[in-house]
Amino acid sequence: MDFKKILVDCLSSFLIVINRFVGLIFNPYKTMRKISVEKDYYQPVFIIGIILIYFKFIYYLRDKIYPATLTYFLFIINVFLTIIFFYLLSKLFSKNKKEISFSSFIFTFSYSLLPTIIWFLSTSILFIFLPPPRTFSILGKGFSIFFVAYSMSLLIWKFILVYLALRFSSKQNFFRIIFMLIFYLIWFIPYSIFLYQFKFFRIPFI
Amino acid sequence: MRSMNLRMKQKLNEVFSVEPNDLGVGFMTNYFRKITAYLKIMPFVYIIPVTFLASIFLYFVLGRFLIKLVTILQYGF
Repeated sequence: MDFKKILVDCLSSFLIVINRFVGLIFNPYKTMRKISVEKDYYQPVFIIGIILIYFKFIYYLRDKIYPATLTYFLFIINVFLTIIFFYLLSKLFSKNKKEISFSSFIFTFSYSLLPTIIWFLSTSILFIFLPPPRTFSILGKGFSIFFVAYSMSLLIWKFILVYLALRFSSKQNFFRIIFMLIFYLIWFIPYSIFLYQFKFFRIPFI
Repeated sequence: MRSMNLRMKQKLNEVFSVEPNDLGVGFMTNYFRKITAYLKIMPFVYIIPVTFLASIFLYFVLGRFLIKLVTILQYGF
């Protein structure tokens, strides 16, 4: 009986995750607003699970310096550090501290990982079918222009989702969110360089 | 009727969960609202053409460096 209930809950959460993913593409503002009041914890678990599959997949493509589980564990630490940082900063900025909930940050930030998943997954698949280095031929130039446009589109979408995640979770205005992001980058850029030096991540998965 | 009122109340709470953005200067707030309105619904309709134009522009400015950059990015996963 309980197993049946868990199975139904998991399946419905999975369908909601798919629905929200589509919503974030077509209607990011409204969808992120809905996500910020979400209470179903199966959803972030699904997203984190998809990322685990991704890390297991790229383990066979990358130089096998570290096990996939270790890099995945580091990714989890990165995400939690990010969420805790923004949560504490929001508490500091906010007048009404009760309206800020930690769960809202968990939901919005786990959904804002969608552009990251798409970019990293597509880049690793392209690595198999169109391995680098790129050439200076017309096809090489054409692909390079396409790839830069594609990466920039996902980066802009990522900025939009992170901004909306902060907007609905922290309830702060535009300028405060920009300040929060600048404070975040002050420690996150050196931290990413540190991870790069130890060859954990080339581009931070965040 | 009661459940409908409750749903309506929940929806209103969700919609008014954040205060509208005010950038301090009237015309800036107006422009901000106009620009963000395009990004709230179907942002890719605007993002994709802009990024393609930016990418072509970058190719003319950076030339071969852009192709080397793509090679580096392709190793970035």
